[in-house]
Amino acid sequence: MIAARILLGVALAAPCLLSAQVAQPLPVATEEATPIGAIPPMPLPMPASRDQNYWGFRFQYGERNERAGPEDLFAVAGGVDYQLRGGSIFGLTGGYQGRRNCQTTSSCGHALFGARGRFNVFTGGPTVASIIGDESATTTLGTEVGFGYAPSVAPGVNACTIDAGVPFSIAMMQTVRVVTFVTPGVVWDVNCSADQTSHNRSGFVGFGIGLQQLFVRGLDVNFGAQRIFRGATGLQFGISVSWVRLP
Amino acid sequence: MIGSLDSHQKSIPVARLVARAGMGALMIWAGGGCHKVTLQEIAPEQIETTLFLIGDAGEPDPRQVGAPLDSLTAQASAAPERSIIVFLGDNVYPGGIPAEGAAEWADARRRLEAQVRAIPPGVRGIFLPGNHDWADETAFGLYSIRLQEQMIASLAQGRNVRLIPGNGCPGPVPVDVGRLRFIALDTQWWLHSYIVRDSSSRCPTITMAAVTAALRSEVNPPGEGRVVLVGGHHPLMTGGAHGGYCGVTGPYRRFGGSPQDILSGENRTMRDSIRSAFADHPPIAYVAGHDHTLQVLRGGRNVHYILVSGAGSPSKTECAVRMRESYYVTQHRAGFMRVDIMKGKGVLLRVFRYPATKHGALAYTRWLERR
Repeated sequence: MIAARILLGVALAAPCLLSAQVAQPLPVATEEATPIGAIPPMPLPMPASRDQNYWGFRFQYGERNERAGPEDLFAVAGGVDYQLRGGSIFGLTGGYQGRRNCQTTSSCGHALFGARGRFNVFTGGPTVASIIGDESATTTLGTEVGFGYAPSVAPGVNACTIDAGVPFSIAMMQTVRVVTFVTPGVVWDVNCSADQTSHNRSGFVGFGIGLQQLFVRGLDVNFGAQRIFRGATGLQFGISVSWVRLP
Repeated sequence: MIGSLDSHQKSIPVARLVARAGMGALMIWAGGGCHKVTLQEIAPEQIETTLFLIGDAGEPDPRQVGAPLDSLTAQASAAPERSIIVFLGDNVYPGGIPAEGAAEWADARRRLEAQVRAIPPGVRGIFLPGNHDWADETAFGLYSIRLQEQMIASLAQGRNVRLIPGNGCPGPVPVDVGRLRFIALDTQWWLHSYIVRDSSSRCPTITMAAVTAALRSEVNPPGEGRVVLVGGHHPLMTGGAHGGYCGVTGPYRRFGGSPQDILSGENRTMRDSIRSAFADHPPIAYVAGHDHTLQVLRGGRNVHYILVSGAGSPSKTECAVRMRESYYVTQHRAGFMRVDIMKGKGVLLRVFRYPATKHGALAYTRWLERR
């Protein structure tokens, strides 16, 4: 519960860090259009045996509301992940982002694609376990790097992003694992359809809570939210359902 | 107990009660269940054989016999004729039994004696070799393990207490008791970087392929309803430090080249060989120590369960991570496991950890084979 409160505090403090920005001229900002901004964040993968590599599959749904523009965004995506020796994970994502109440006659949505590597740096937990009084508590700290691409976000605009983050999570309880997580990071975005070299850089924080090993050993359900500290990009939140195939 | 539970619940708001009930139902549905089968719930006459599993117990307190050894002794004393205590290796820290005359000899003997004395009269005792028993993986290892075998025989004073596989041999050595077949392996033999046999070795198997072939044969004993457990010091899977967890360096320890770790090539070769021997007739469990934790793990295709019971020394308990394969994990707690082979059908696992909580030392139970 302490961990959950800390994460909630970080989330509530995030809007205070926003600086006043000029409104986005595009219906969808480039950093909102790729997987890092469109689909909800997830915690680092649950540790698994070092004997095997694991295939995982996920379905994600996210919304981005409270934006400056009149249109809220929604996105659905599917992905496949490869967990190496029970630790670090490499994943590919494909999906679609749309605009609610879209008034334009042109396209109201676009495809999005992404690749992500998530590397476990530390997996342990006795210190946190003793603090929260749960012997099974696991603390995981890692790094992640993601690449995103979304074609035809707006006429003449393809969105490209690179992001880096430092995911941190605490998982508790023996049977169904309750995991709280936070991922602060930085995203660089650019209109990669143009010959421009200028890019934007924004900080972000993703956070959420999830249930691991729900009903079956490989099934996880996570609820995540994210703030990008740039302009009025609003709050993104959503659900991720993932399944890892155990041998 | 029931009265105290009721009085506690009265002070909890209704919303929290509903939330707790919901979470409880969710957890039960999720597969684990919360009911712990206490010692009183199984009638003693229903039990055919009881196996106590305790590992890495080679660092007993020099001043007193504390938990978990004393608790294990008390439980085994209740029915010595059907009890077997298995010490899962690392019986003498830090470097096994030295040559007689060495300064460390007396203390090494003291460490071993504490464990042999914990075996009540009439109870069968089995010691498996661990990496520390092989002189902490040094060139003296083969001779140290022979010295330990001799010392155990001496301390046992004619009782059925012995180190197997003996004489520095890799095994497998089967022990048949009723429905139970316990197969002992010396896994350090696979990982040792120095001499593992000499002119006085009389091992029936002397190559890795021969050990694997013999193990493949032994895991398929004749008879109906047999319960096969295979024991070795090194685990086939672990969420502890030797599994590459519990520390910043965990995932990268493989580059250090220690064969004691799951991520090393030598260790993987050993595990793959053992698992391949299980392919046709998966044993119900592979039991090990090495990581100083208590873990109950889903074994996968070739073995139903993997048990890590290496928390025999309270001063050496360590961190463990709950993995996707984990049914139960506790870290920084001493303890042991108890496996009851029931008459006819049924194998019950119970995990005892120390210090005990207000609910007692029994921390986890699971039917490895349904009754």
